[in-house]
Amino acid sequence: MSYEPMHKIIKLKRYEQPPEGYYEDFLREFHRRQRAELLKPSLSALIMERLSGLIPELRVPAMAFAGAAAVAVIASVAIIRETPRQDAPRAYSVSYTSTLPYSQVPVTIQNMQPVSLRVDPSGLNLPQPPPQSSPLTFPSSYLLPARPANHESPLSF
Amino acid sequence: MSAELEPLQNNDQELVARTQGGDPGAFDELIVKYSPRLYGLVYHMTSNHEDTNDLLQDIFSKAYRSIVNFRGNSSFYTWMHSIAVNMTINFLKRRNRRQHPSLNDPDSNIENDPDFIAATSNGDPTKEVSIHELQKKLNASMQKLSHDHRIVVTMFDIQGIPHAEIAKILKISEGTVRSRLFYAHRQLQNSLHEFKRN
Repeated sequence: MSYEPMHKIIKLKRYEQPPEGYYEDFLREFHRRQRAELLKPSLSALIMERLSGLIPELRVPAMAFAGAAAVAVIASVAIIRETPRQDAPRAYSVSYTSTLPYSQVPVTIQNMQPVSLRVDPSGLNLPQPPPQSSPLTFPSSYLLPARPANHESPLSF
Repeated sequence: MSAELEPLQNNDQELVARTQGGDPGAFDELIVKYSPRLYGLVYHMTSNHEDTNDLLQDIFSKAYRSIVNFRGNSSFYTWMHSIAVNMTINFLKRRNRRQHPSLNDPDSNIENDPDFIAATSNGDPTKEVSIHELQKKLNASMQKLSHDHRIVVTMFDIQGIPHAEIAKILKISEGTVRSRLFYAHRQLQNSLHEFKRN
């Protein structure tokens, strides 16, 4: 079959038309749907309506909000005025004598030493280790466990 | 703009401007003008009158909401057809494949159409094919086509829209339109071989 006869057959489909009066009804239906669309409130309008309905139920007088706001402003001004000026930074570090047993010495910057280095026990009342006769023994040291500082358990969130 | 479409598009600019200015009556005029043509476009794609009716309402509703953004870069005709094509293809992608067709009865004038007489008698008056038989066969053949092929056949063969205008509506090249038509026709020839004329 050549192209032209087939084009003519397909073209016969244009005779398939909707029932009479369809297009007049279509326009009326369009107007009806548009009106329904306009009357249908939006979600934000519904929320606002619910909120405005809720506020009178709280039985709070309208002037109470203004009074509360004024009190809040006065209190804020008073707090700002009473705040002391900080001319110099305060020192929060405290030195401790080393007469306390080691276990009771508070941890401060002054008393801290780098990890994995030997601690000089001369300034602390630490029990002295018994003398070792073997030259192969290692001096006591404080080491961090072999675990990265940012390690987290896979189950922790 | 092609000479065939010029009468249809006359006055559109003014109606669009009036709609944008808040005159809903102007949009009513656009509906009256375009609904038969767009009905055909959607109906021949869906082969279902009820689906076409709902979809056409949605198409005009979307156009009405979007017309404030219409800047006239294309004609209103092209813009309106693009909305209809996109919404119809989206609808067809969602629609259940087992959907039964709901076909309109062909206009009685078809019986006087020489092309109908030639196609149904096939040169032999004793072997006449009924209108409904032909309609059923045509729809079945159309539904076998892919959406892309069916849309070009609908616009070109049934609605008589020129290649260049189809290209603008579908935002493809004219060569692609011709290529799709070629393959669609070849497929239709296989489906409609029984209506071959001597």
